[in-house]
Order: sequence, then C-alpha cells, then structure tokens
Amino acid sequence: MSRDSKTPPEGYDVDREHMLDFQVPKQLQQVLEDDGRGDGKNYLLTTLDEVFNWARLSSIWPVTFGLACCAIEMMATSATRYDIDRFGAGAFRATPRQADLMIVSGTVTAKMATRLKRIYDQMPEPKWVIAMGSCAIGGGPYFKYGYHVVKGVDLLVPVDVYVPGCPPRPEVLLEGLMRLQDKIRGREGKLQAPKWVSDYAQKIPYRK
Amino acid sequence: MEQKAIYEKLVEKFGEGALGFLEEGPEPVADIAPQKIAEAALYLRDEAGLEFDQLMCLSGLDWDGFDENGKGKSVAILGYDVGGQPETSDRVGEGDLGVAYHLYSHGQRHKFTMRVRVPRTAPTLPSVAGVWSTAGWHEREAYDLVGITFEGHPDLRRILLEEEWEGHPLRKDYVMPDRWGQVPLDGKNLAKNPFPATEPDPSGSAPAAPTED
Repeated sequence: MSRDSKTPPEGYDVDREHMLDFQVPKQLQQVLEDDGRGDGKNYLLTTLDEVFNWARLSSIWPVTFGLACCAIEMMATSATRYDIDRFGAGAFRATPRQADLMIVSGTVTAKMATRLKRIYDQMPEPKWVIAMGSCAIGGGPYFKYGYHVVKGVDLLVPVDVYVPGCPPRPEVLLEGLMRLQDKIRGREGKLQAPKWVSDYAQKIPYRK
Repeated sequence: MEQKAIYEKLVEKFGEGALGFLEEGPEPVADIAPQKIAEAALYLRDEAGLEFDQLMCLSGLDWDGFDENGKGKSVAILGYDVGGQPETSDRVGEGDLGVAYHLYSHGQRHKFTMRVRVPRTAPTLPSVAGVWSTAGWHEREAYDLVGITFEGHPDLRRILLEEEWEGHPLRKDYVMPDRWGQVPLDGKNLAKNPFPATEPDPSGSAPAAPTED
C-alpha cells in the first residue's frame, strides 16, 4: 500500500491507516538529511520520547511494599540521611494504581507471591521492578531448604534491576535506582564502573 | 521447687504414667506417657505448690534419625539441589514423633519441662488446650508443621500454611514441593551461569592485578 495519503486505496474515502501519521515538513526533512540524521521522519518523536522518559525517570513513585528485613533498609533509604526523594522516588504510594515502581524488598514466600503478582498486575504501565536483596534475587539463604520461598521474584514478574546484598545498604539501593533511571532514559549514565571492574568480574570462576 | 521434686510428685500421682526423668543436658526433661498428658497438665496447673499457670512453649518434635538411646545420627534431610529441583530419596522416615511442653509458674517461680513420644504411624495426643488456652495455637502449629493430631482440640486447622498444603514440612522425611498452585517453588539452576562472560579467557590463568583505568 502506498504511503501517499493523496491517493486513498480503493473503497476508502480517506487513508485511515495513515491519516494520523506525522509528516515531517519537506524543508526540515532536507535540513535533517543534510545534517546526517537519516531520513528525519522520526526526529521529532524521538525527542518527545526523551522528554517523556525524563519525566518518568524524575518521578518514579514506588509502591509501599516491604516484605522482610530489606524493607528496613528501604525505609532508611527513604529517611533523611539517604533521602531517596533527591531522585524523585520518595513518594511511596499506598496504592499500586498510583505507583510506577515495585521494590521487592525481602523474602517472597509462597503465600505472598500471589499477592505480589496481584499488586504488580494492578500497577499501571509503564512499570518497573527492583529485586532488592538475595532473597528477592534468588531465594538467598532459603534456596536449599525453603519449602515456602519463591527462589527469585523474576520467576513471577519481570525484573529490571537486581540489587545484591543481604540486606543491601541504602547506598546500593540508590545505585540500583540510578541504574533504573539509566534504563528508562534509554542510555547509560555517567556513573559507570571502571573498565577493570568488569574485566575482573568476567574472570571470576563461577561454580565449576 | 526443683524439677526433680516436681517429677517425684508426678510419679506419686500417676505411677506408670511418668516414664522417666533425664537430668543430663542443658535442661532436665521428664518423659510422660501420651495418654496421661492432659491429666498431668491439669494436675500441674491446679496442685497447690506447683501452680504452673503458664505454658511457655509447646513444640513438635521429630526423632527421625535417633536411635533407642537417644543418640542422633545424620539423616539426609531433603532440600533442593543445585539445579533447583527437589531432591528425592528412597529413605522412609523412622523414629517417633513427640511434643515438648515448657511450663512456668509465676507464683512459685519455678519451671518444668516435659515431653511425650507418639508412634510415627499414629501421632495422636490428648489436647491441653482446655488446660492452658495458649496451647490452642501452639497445637495448631505442631499439627501444621509436624503433623501431630490433638484429640479434643476445639479448632484443629493449619495455622501457617494453607489448608490445601500437602504434607508437614518440618518432618525430616519431607520432600520439598516443586510448586504450590500457580506459584513455582523450584529454583533457578545455580550450576548455570546466568551472566556468561562475553569473552572467555582461553588461557584460564588467574586474573591480573587491577590497574588504574
């Protein structure tokens, strides 16, 4: 089908499929092509996306959801000394319908798993999940004999950022939040580990 | 009153119902016959000079892996393997089940510990929930996790797990579940690296010392 909206297809008065398409003006298109930015059709929309993403990452509202001892550290993170509100994530909402982020802070037991899934389903899109602590990442100390523990919250809901620790210190949770902001932004931020850290981590033998 | 003297009063009252008194260990323990436990509890609560008005704790016990002399040996308690799957075994649980009662008297300021043994095939005991009402929830917990049935309990249901749960998890021959309803309980495979190195080291030598980047 032709994308030329001046000639609608047979049987249609207007090209309904493309009537809402945004057409870049020809002059701007020429400027963009000269500038080396491809055909320039998506330039304005991607810029809008950046604005939307900036708004999202600047006000990530977590749902009030604490499961175990990691929740104590999460509360400390939201208190004055560490102050998660500096990153716009300090408004812990008492309802999942107003929240963007679920910090799974603690052990996910089998009974809690059904409630956790329900809370996640009640959150509106877009939504993100941080798995905080060893238990939420992979069962932690309950892996071997925990008949009642889900071995990792990523078996239930998709996880964006894993924050290791038992429990993680507030600084680590803030680091995880910043990595989530990088993820929403769509690119990596300024705070990256030095190259030797990643090189070193790749050489650590893993359970041979 | 010393625990030994309390046990002597139980022997006077119940005779054969008091099976023995174990003084070794961190705390002396009296063994009571299971059919006499409710009467003994009532006696300990109401007898002048004893007056045990509080049941501090009621715990279910599993003697699987203990021989007749009470010496423990290692039994392979089943868990999840490195692959995250429940371990299985042909071993059948043996040894008795039981219940331990820890009593305290606020008036006399003494305490007493007693326990009963019931066979694993028919773990049934008289309830003491009519003597100490706090025993109600404790007996529900022992029923839930160890699987001991208490006759005469007013409301014997599971207290921690859901009613549909199969088995009693704190028994030593319990096989771990792989899922519960829609919830997966088997783990991820820890033997497999979820974050493989993008460039494997062909030499396999030890990593070099970190340098400034």
